[in-house]
Amino acid sequence: MAFWFYRGLRKGIVTTRYPREVDPWTRDLPTPPAFRSSRLTRALADRLVAACPSEAIRREGEELVVDLGRCTGCGRCLAVGGEAVAASGEFLLATAERSSLVKRVPIGGDREARG
Amino acid sequence: MTVDGQARPEAADALAQELRRRALALFGRSLHIRTVDTGSCAVCESEIRLLSAPHYDLHRLGFFFTPAPRHADLLMVTGPAIRAADNLLLKAFHATPDPKAVIAVGACALGGVYGEDELVHGSVDQVVPVDVYVPGCPPSPLALLQGLLVAVGRLEERVASLSLDLDSDRRAAADGRPR
Repeated sequence: MAFWFYRGLRKGIVTTRYPREVDPWTRDLPTPPAFRSSRLTRALADRLVAACPSEAIRREGEELVVDLGRCTGCGRCLAVGGEAVAASGEFLLATAERSSLVKRVPIGGDREARG
Repeated sequence: MTVDGQARPEAADALAQELRRRALALFGRSLHIRTVDTGSCAVCESEIRLLSAPHYDLHRLGFFFTPAPRHADLLMVTGPAIRAADNLLLKAFHATPDPKAVIAVGACALGGVYGEDELVHGSVDQVVPVDVYVPGCPPSPLALLQGLLVAVGRLEERVASLSLDLDSDRRAAADGRPR
């Protein structure tokens, strides 16, 4: 608040500059997860599915299906997933197509362990 | 929709899309918003209220809140669409003059938190047609602003090209795309 007030006094600007640029504090927002497909195993995927309280993550065969629309950004998958899961940092997710919020991530960890 | 007795869904759909785009472009830089709460926990509302705070100042972008759906161009619907709110949601939807748009706000409204049962529909698009979905629990005011700008066609959506696979991102970067 003090920073905005100071910037406002200095430059005559009191508002966010969005949509021209995104505020730096948005780095701290809780965001949906992103995955390292080479570290994902089926066992880990099943633990992620069990950990997700809003059923945003499910497994379909060799793919992890993540519904960003259902994700609440609670971070439980980050706690379970270790190095395979990281925060995506994406929060500007508005879309006209519900289906474009459903993302598929291949589960590649098992394959690399075998080969 | 049938044209000359033949079903031509693609052509009709493209035409409807174009009409819709032109109607929303009509709103240009002045659009009035009515919020409808279908059983939300009120955190989405608190983020929506932040939009009119000095920092976000959505009036500079030509958006205004209105207390009545009859004065509104756009409905912002929050909450999991509890069945007890069907009547108010449909009344607000039909009272909003055409052309109109509906934005579903938050994980509840998108089907995230409550499954469909005898108390809730589970997502807003089960009750009214939704034009723009804004995920988040709650969505940040900037995410709401993006949703509004996407709804009137002033900003391109970016989630369609987003990949959640960090390894494929790295591979794509290593494949020699311009850095």
